[in-house]
Amino acid sequence: MFSARPCSKLVAVVLSCWLLGACRNESRERAPSEGPATSERARLTPPPAPLPVAVQVAGNAAHGKELMRKYECNRCHDGTGVPPAPLEQHCVHCHQDILAGKFKASASKLAKWQKNVTSVRDIPSLAATGSRFRADWIERFLLDPHDLRPALAQSMPRLKISASDARDIAAYLTATGDSAAPSVQPSGDVTQGRELFETKGCGTCHRFSGVGELATVPRADGPVDQQRAVSLAPDLRYARERFRTDRIVRWILAPQSLKPDTLMTPSPVSEREAAEIAHFILTAPLAAPVPKPVPARLPPLPRKVAFEEVNERVLMKTCRHCHGNPDVALGDGGPGNTGGFGFAPRRLNLSSYSGVAAGLLDEQQQRASVFAKTSDGTPRLVAALLARHAEEAGKPNPEVRGMPLGLPALPAEDIQLVETWIAQGRPK
Amino acid sequence: MKTRISKSLMVVVAAGCFSALAVEPSEARACGGEWAPEVYIDHRIQGVARAEKMFEAGKVDQAAATVIRMMPHIATLKASRSTLVERSQRMLAVAVARADGALPVAEEVPDYARGTWLGAKDADRQTNLSWAVSALRQVDELKKDDPSVQTELAEVLAKVPEHKKEARTILESLAQRDLVSTPEGYAVLAELRKEAGDAKGQKVALERCAAMAKSAAVCRSTEAQS
Repeated sequence: MFSARPCSKLVAVVLSCWLLGACRNESRERAPSEGPATSERARLTPPPAPLPVAVQVAGNAAHGKELMRKYECNRCHDGTGVPPAPLEQHCVHCHQDILAGKFKASASKLAKWQKNVTSVRDIPSLAATGSRFRADWIERFLLDPHDLRPALAQSMPRLKISASDARDIAAYLTATGDSAAPSVQPSGDVTQGRELFETKGCGTCHRFSGVGELATVPRADGPVDQQRAVSLAPDLRYARERFRTDRIVRWILAPQSLKPDTLMTPSPVSEREAAEIAHFILTAPLAAPVPKPVPARLPPLPRKVAFEEVNERVLMKTCRHCHGNPDVALGDGGPGNTGGFGFAPRRLNLSSYSGVAAGLLDEQQQRASVFAKTSDGTPRLVAALLARHAEEAGKPNPEVRGMPLGLPALPAEDIQLVETWIAQGRPK
Repeated sequence: MKTRISKSLMVVVAAGCFSALAVEPSEARACGGEWAPEVYIDHRIQGVARAEKMFEAGKVDQAAATVIRMMPHIATLKASRSTLVERSQRMLAVAVARADGALPVAEEVPDYARGTWLGAKDADRQTNLSWAVSALRQVDELKKDDPSVQTELAEVLAKVPEHKKEARTILESLAQRDLVSTPEGYAVLAELRKEAGDAKGQKVALERCAAMAKSAAVCRSTEAQS
C-alpha cells in the first residue's frame, strides 16, 4: 500500500527535478549573450546534480504510436515500432542504396547522384529509446530539434508539432523502457572520471564540447564500422539532459544489453570506473555552447542568372526531393507537395519553371506566390532559405520554417544565386 | 495418303486445343512449372518525359509531334484516364494555341495520325482550338487551382474570340497574385489589355514577359503591334 507521505515526497522530487531542469535550460540559453570579458570561472557553471530517475511524461503512448505514422518518423528512422516506409519514400534507405550502388537506376545516374548524397545517410535507430533516454528530453527535442551529432549533418526536421503530440510520442517511445534492471548510479571524482574518459578512448568516437581540450588515447577495439560510429556518436554535453542516470553506467559497460543494434562497443572499464566516467559526463562544468554563426547575406550578383543555373545548383539537388511533381511520381509529390511529415499538402512543385511560378497553398489553403514579399521585403522563398541558417544557429524564426527541412542550410552563395534570379525578374 | 496424314494432324491439333480449353492450366503450370510474369514496358512513360523536356526547351511543335505519334487517338482520350494522357494533352493543347490551330508537324507525323492537326482548313483550325480549350478545361478541373494549368488555359482561351473575356479574367486574377507561370501568359495578358485599351497595363505585362522570357521573340509579336 502507498502511504500519502512517500507519494508527496515523490511529487516533491519530480517537481524539484523539473524546476532544476528548467533553471538549467534557462542558464544554457542565456549564456551565449554573455560578453567576451566573462571570466573562465564564471563561464564554467557547475551544473545541478543529475536527476536520480528517469523523468516520465504523462502522455498517451497509444496515441503516440499513431503519431509515429502521422509524422512519418519511419521515413528516416528504423526501430519506430511501425513498418519502415517503402523505399521510394524512405530518405535514408534510398540514400544508402544509392551510395551502395544498389538503387535501380542507370550507372551514369547513380554516379551523378552519389556525388550529391552528402546528407541523410545515417540516422539513429529509435529502438530501445526508453531504456536510455528521458521522455521529457524527447518531448523538448521534438519541439525544438538541434544538432546533437558533430560529425553528422543535422537532419531532424522542425516538425509542425504540438506540445501534446510531442508528449504522446515521447510517452510511446519510452513506454517499454523499464525492462532492464537499474545499474549503479554515476559517482566518484570528476577529475578521475575525466582521466578515465581520456585514457579509455571515449574520445575516439565522442566529442564532449564545453569541457575544454580532451586528450584521447584511441581505442584499438573500437567498432567495426568506425566511420559510421563516429558520425552517429552524440556530443556528450547533451548527455545530462538526454540520458537516464539509472542506465548510463550500464550503457558504458554493456551498451548492447540496452540496445542490441548500437555501434557503441563495451568500454574496457570496471563498474567503478564506468560510474566515474558517467559522473564526469553528467556533472563536469560546461562552458556555454559556441553558437554557430549565421553567414552574412550576400548582395545580388552583377551577372545574369537564368532558371537553368538555379535549377541545376539548387532546386534539382535539394528542393525537388520534397517539392516534386506528383504526376511523374505515381501521385507522390513529396512532403512539401502532396503532404508528409505531418504537414498538410502545400502543392509546391519546384521541379519546373512553371511549377515554381505556380506558388504554393499558404496556411489558409490559398494559392500564394513563393516570391511574395515578407514583412522585411524578402521574397518568401529566400526568407525560408535564410531561416534555415538561423535555425542552425539556434535562433529559429517562429514565422518562417527554415528550408531545406531536415537538411543542412544552403551555402550563402546558393541563396545569393536564388535571390539574384528573383531580383532579375526570374528569367527562364 | 497425304490427305489421310493431314486429317490425322487436324484431329491431333483439334484434340490438343480441346484439352487446352477443357483443362485450364494454373499459372504455375503455364510455363512448364514456373511462373513467369509477362513484362510490359510502356514506352510512352519515357516518351512523354522526353516531350516535356522539348516543350520546356521551347521546342513546342516537336513536343506536339512526339505526342501525336505516340498517341494517335489522343484527341479522343480523357485526361482523367492517366497522368500520361493529361500531361500529353496539356502540351498538345498549348502547342495548338501557339500555332493558331495549325500545327506545323507534317514532316514528323505520319498520314494516318494527322487528323485535323495540320489545320489545312479554317474548319480544322477551329476544331483544333475547340479541342484545346476542352482538353485544358478538363485538366484544370482535375488539377483544381493550379496556376500553371490556369495560365495555359487562358493562353488557349485567348485564341477563341468568344472566350477572350474569360481568358483575361483568369490572367488578371493570377497576375494580381504574381502567379502567371509563363512569359507567354504575360504576352497574352499584354495583348488582351491592349485590346481593352489598357496601354499602361499592357506595358507592365510586357515588362514582366521580357523579364521572364528566354527569348525576346516570345513577347515581340504583342510588342510590335503596340
